[in-house]
Amino acid sequence: MPTVVLMDSSLSMTRPVSVEGSEEFQRKNLAVHGLTMLFEHMATNYKLEFTSLVAFSSLWELMVPFTRDYNTLQEALNNLEDYDKTCLEGALQGVSNVVQQEWGSACPCQVVLVTDGALGIGRGSLRHSLQTVKQRGEDKKFPLPFPFPSKLYIMCIANAEELQATDGMDNLEQLINLNGGDGQIYTMEGPLCLKSVQSMFGKLIDQAYSPFHAVLRCGNLTSDVQVFPRPEPVIIDEEVDPMPKNVQTDLEIVGFIEIGDISSPPVLSRHLVLPIAVNKEGDEIGTGTTDDTEEDTSTNQMAGKSPNFCVLLHGSLKVEGMVALVQLGPDWYGMLYSQADSKKKSNLMMSLFDPGSEPLPWLGRMSQLGPASDAAENPYGEDDSKSPFPIQPKHKRSYAQNVTVWIKASGLQTDVQKILRNARKLPEKTQTFYKELNRLRKAALAFGFWELLKSMAELLERECTLLPDSAHPDAAFQLSHAAQQLKLASSIDSKYAAFEHNITPMLTDFSGGGGDRI
Amino acid sequence: MRMFSVSHKTAFVVDHCPYMAESSRQLIECDMLTKSRSQGVIPLAPVAKSLWTCAVECSMEYCRILYDIYPTKKLVNYIVSDSEVHILNSWKQEDQNTHDLMSALAAVGPPNPRQDPECCSVLHGLVAAVESLCKITEYQHESRTTLMDMADRVANRGRIICLTNAKSDTHVRMLEDCVLETIQEQNKLAAGSDRLMPIQQCELVLVHIYPQGDDTLVSDRQKKELSSVLSSEVHSVRAGRYLACKLNVLVQQHFDLASTTITNIPMKPTLNVCEQEEQHANTSANYDVELLHHRDAHMEFIKSGDLHMAGSTSRDSGLKETVTLKWCTPRTNSVELHYCTGAYRISPVDVNSRPSSCLTNFLLNGRSVLLEQPRKSGSKVISHMLSSHGGEIFLHVLNSTRSTLEDPPSISEGCGGRVTDYRITDFGEFMRENRLTPFPDSMVDAAGRAPIERAKSQLERHTRYWPMIISQTTIFNMQAVVPLANLIVKDTLTEEDVLTCQKTVYNLVDMERKSDPLPISTVGSRGKGPKRDEQYRIMWNELETLVKTHVGTSERHQRVLECISACRSKPPEEEERKKRGRKREDKEDKTEKNGKDTEEKSWTADTERLKGVMDREKDEQSECEIIKDSPDSPEPLNKKPRLATEEQQPPEKSKGPVSLLALWTNRITQANSRKHQEFAGRLSSVNNKAELYQHLKEENGMDVHENGKGTR
Repeated sequence: MPTVVLMDSSLSMTRPVSVEGSEEFQRKNLAVHGLTMLFEHMATNYKLEFTSLVAFSSLWELMVPFTRDYNTLQEALNNLEDYDKTCLEGALQGVSNVVQQEWGSACPCQVVLVTDGALGIGRGSLRHSLQTVKQRGEDKKFPLPFPFPSKLYIMCIANAEELQATDGMDNLEQLINLNGGDGQIYTMEGPLCLKSVQSMFGKLIDQAYSPFHAVLRCGNLTSDVQVFPRPEPVIIDEEVDPMPKNVQTDLEIVGFIEIGDISSPPVLSRHLVLPIAVNKEGDEIGTGTTDDTEEDTSTNQMAGKSPNFCVLLHGSLKVEGMVALVQLGPDWYGMLYSQADSKKKSNLMMSLFDPGSEPLPWLGRMSQLGPASDAAENPYGEDDSKSPFPIQPKHKRSYAQNVTVWIKASGLQTDVQKILRNARKLPEKTQTFYKELNRLRKAALAFGFWELLKSMAELLERECTLLPDSAHPDAAFQLSHAAQQLKLASSIDSKYAAFEHNITPMLTDFSGGGGDRI
Repeated sequence: MRMFSVSHKTAFVVDHCPYMAESSRQLIECDMLTKSRSQGVIPLAPVAKSLWTCAVECSMEYCRILYDIYPTKKLVNYIVSDSEVHILNSWKQEDQNTHDLMSALAAVGPPNPRQDPECCSVLHGLVAAVESLCKITEYQHESRTTLMDMADRVANRGRIICLTNAKSDTHVRMLEDCVLETIQEQNKLAAGSDRLMPIQQCELVLVHIYPQGDDTLVSDRQKKELSSVLSSEVHSVRAGRYLACKLNVLVQQHFDLASTTITNIPMKPTLNVCEQEEQHANTSANYDVELLHHRDAHMEFIKSGDLHMAGSTSRDSGLKETVTLKWCTPRTNSVELHYCTGAYRISPVDVNSRPSSCLTNFLLNGRSVLLEQPRKSGSKVISHMLSSHGGEIFLHVLNSTRSTLEDPPSISEGCGGRVTDYRITDFGEFMRENRLTPFPDSMVDAAGRAPIERAKSQLERHTRYWPMIISQTTIFNMQAVVPLANLIVKDTLTEEDVLTCQKTVYNLVDMERKSDPLPISTVGSRGKGPKRDEQYRIMWNELETLVKTHVGTSERHQRVLECISACRSKPPEEEERKKRGRKREDKEDKTEKNGKDTEEKSWTADTERLKGVMDREKDEQSECEIIKDSPDSPEPLNKKPRLATEEQQPPEKSKGPVSLLALWTNRITQANSRKHQEFAGRLSSVNNKAELYQHLKEENGMDVHENGKGTR
């Protein structure tokens, strides 16, 4: 989930903070301090997150495009200049553009807005923007809600009292609601100082950037893993089932399926599954700050040399072309597979299916999947030539069952012509002739289209008179028999008008039921 | 997403009164004479559908699309109204298919024009529809049962689509009032019942059908709230294709559908897309097919604003938009796992047209087709894929934007990444053995476990002892162990399985006696690794570890362990021996260099061996019939008979310090023994007694087994 840091660089950010003591800070310094802490945390624990930095005042500027290079971000942050007044609407539009250009509109993003809560005055102020939200044309719409799924975190370099004194707090709350309610406003507790800014960003880190650690299990084989990006809670039906579902930290493999059988299933999200080494204190190796890198590498080297289940699983999944089904929670499943990137490097990847008992129709109910060895007969065949998947639905779809649709005249004409074409080739085409005739008959009965039955009967009778002398004598018998039966169907005679009744070929002396060559 | 929205229940009310028998006056020429035959034949008069026929076929088309795209959870109750009510199906899922509806419609037949118009009305049907909407569906029931005390979260909403021929706007108002009143009455009734639910929201869609050429007596009206529960809209439509278009638009609105037109589908014979066309199309003619599906398949276009760019108007209706996607000829049949963010069932708009059926048949035969989104820039973006799964065709949405997971650290850089001898092939085999398969709903085992729980417990059993790397294991590198290793993980063993396991053990014993080399890893140890006897000791220990993890499963598993314990040559004072063994190894390392012959051993080794023989022979009287060698004394086959003759030697010999004479005679006898060819019988003798006709018993494993038991 990429992050956009939206940094207020308006003049009001340079307001000094009154501290008893030695140094004098600007609010901007506090903001930079907080963000530095965030970047440091990400550089060590959330390395794979793409982050970009946008600065804004009355204009906005993309300072650093999406990157994993936190040094670049830090450098840009340190060199931020001060500009004029705050104009949030334009900046939010900027964020929207930056994200969509890079990731499209399906990728969820986090936006971290850092501001002092002085949201401008007059035109261009947030207050003004929010007041006019409803009176806008299509071309000048307010940028929220963002077109992509997003969480908006607002870091205020101000305390709650300060914001509540003006309408700043209300406006910011409105902003989050406009975006769908996902996100939070953080304010500083107590005096504005380095300590309180640290505690505020600490809360953000806990909330949004804590790594997701889990145990991947396959029977008794296990591996400690980090799942990145961390899986977000999912709500299935906000009415019947409004509780968000969370991925549990115990990822249990339930079995294996061929890639061809699972065949490109739709997924909610994709995550890297990275094995991690857990040392005695229960800390992840690599969480330490930069100064103990030496120790780090040595432990990493150790970890690299001891066998890890993830690596084994990845290797075998890749070689065999299979996926592992993994249970993420009650009635929630996902799959593990090997994913190769363009550079031929490959990784263990996990995709989450929709929560529910039957996320993929072609696999059926997940709880009904059991070990193939339990089946009376090997469902994959002795030589791996068969597969129990996909599961066939109970009813065939319309396009798989030769339905009759006469909404367009051409549909009806085609069906009539098909019958006449076969009528001219009697008795060779007796089977097809009656098959098509019965199809037409059924549809006409269902649609209450008796007129068609009569017309068809007449057409067949005329065909009979037009038969050439060379025609097989059986043809004439079959044609008049069929015409007769159609007429009966359009009368109220229950026996012949029954939907399930089929017109069968007349038994004649010539062929014993027609030369049934198809 | 709400499961019980208005679209959960749709009641169709179709007017069957005498006036519906009137002709739609849309004529269809069904007598298409070919030129060669047209002479002298008077063509048949064209036919025209009645209003009833139009209403029925359009409603069936609505249902066809609905069932194609939502095979479950979107239910239709079909009601026909004349002087009485004919309810053609129920909310039950099993009733939801067009075939049964068609059959029921055939039983109703066309309206009878001679029926008394006074007692006929669509009102009967509307009342029945409201009553029906109060009835609980199996999904609502299931949801209410699982939610228990929060059962009130389960909503009851529905839609009534009424196809009729109304007299006037006043008549329409009268119908609406009737529905409103009935809802109020029925809701009161439902409040006091367990099997009924009050209607919380109802959408009434009145479609007034009139013959072509007539002026309409009813005016169109947009959706209007008649009360907090009921909203109503009126559509006044000419019969025939106008009605068909209207219902097609309605089904899209009601079920959040959107349209995609696949363009540029080649009719080239080589592609076999349209084999029937082969003969006619020598040139590469291309054609288009329009499909309906859930509109979420277009989410990316809608959000990015590309919709208008990609879209064009539908060929037929001109009313709705369709997104055009270009066919990309599939190159290979290789199975690939695409990153797919959604898969939506499709239904062709023109299901039985030639182009549609060519496309659907191509897909149903198992081919997948990638679809390209046309872009202004001319860049090629694959945005969708058509693919069938079990006879159902899905439009998959593929991710076409940059991935946030690009350039991840390679797995070889992480934990365990430097290890190179993972048992990749073995784990692949393990995965094949643990493949899943669907079981029928009723399949629970004796313990009442669902199949998925059985799958988990099978994985647990299969991994109780599963070394991950080749150098960590001996037994899994040995072909000879395979039968036992495969069987022991099973939940239940048959007598035959136990026998196979025992045979495996005997076979290992035999290997040890023959001193066959073992695939023991030399990683981490200096030189050539452990000596053969040490190798066998490691192997037996590992095998025991494996079997021990399964001992609790059943009594038969226990018996396999017993067999191993009985047959393996466990040294009496293991610890002490280990120490000595290590010392000896060092020496042996040196002596090995002097000659290839394993018999050229140090004196110590020989005496050690002799002692082993003495000890063993005492024990063996009561042990298994097969000779088990001490793990510390690997003996070449041809030495054994010689040893047996040494039985007569005084036991002291092997105890105290060995005299020079003893060493000398020993050496001489050994040298002599090499020159002498031993009898085959004595070669395989036990305690110097050779068993006759052994091969008979080996052919029949049961005997061997029983013997083994008997002598114990």
